[in-house]
Amino acid sequence: MSQYEELTTTMTDQQYLVEALTEMGYKPEVQTEGTALRGYGGVSWNRPVQVTIPREQLRGALASVGFGRDEAGVFQAVIDDLDRKCSGFDESWLGRVAQTYKERQTMAVAKTKGYVFRGRDVVQTPQGPKVQLRFAVR
Amino acid sequence: MQEQLITIEIDEQGNSSIDLEGFHGQGCGDVAKDFRGGDSVTQSSKKREYYAQATGVKQSQQNT
Repeated sequence: MSQYEELTTTMTDQQYLVEALTEMGYKPEVQTEGTALRGYGGVSWNRPVQVTIPREQLRGALASVGFGRDEAGVFQAVIDDLDRKCSGFDESWLGRVAQTYKERQTMAVAKTKGYVFRGRDVVQTPQGPKVQLRFAVR
Repeated sequence: MQEQLITIEIDEQGNSSIDLEGFHGQGCGDVAKDFRGGDSVTQSSKKREYYAQATGVKQSQQNT
């Protein structure tokens, strides 16, 4: 029987999280006050989540994925353990969410602070692809 | 005057590093602070140019 597990992230900003998931092709649902997460076979998670990707959007998944804030305001991912092991919604997938989140955050900071965007590249490294963003001072 | 360039690299875990070129004096730290936000710095190293007229700093930081 599957069960939900919590995977640690360091993401704190709901806007960038939602933007990141959207960029990855999902249509996340947002419940600012939090909602219960129910999964495969009726299993549930005991804490509210604020951002949910419905199961129908997760190819091959048994259950929806949630992101809920902990006591410190940091989003923690809640993922069914079978989906983590068998469907690819694992630490690597979550890392790509974090990478996209960080890119959105960086672009927003640069815009706010008045830096001039000079380009984006993806650099292949033995540790996986790195996103490279270049800016100039106005 | 040398253009001031900022390069940010983000890995697949959301960790980022910042590389600065053509900066002088305090400007270096100010830019790094802008992009660091609430992230914590895990590694910081100064380029050789830091000790010359122009300065450069490379920092790695953990995503928040």
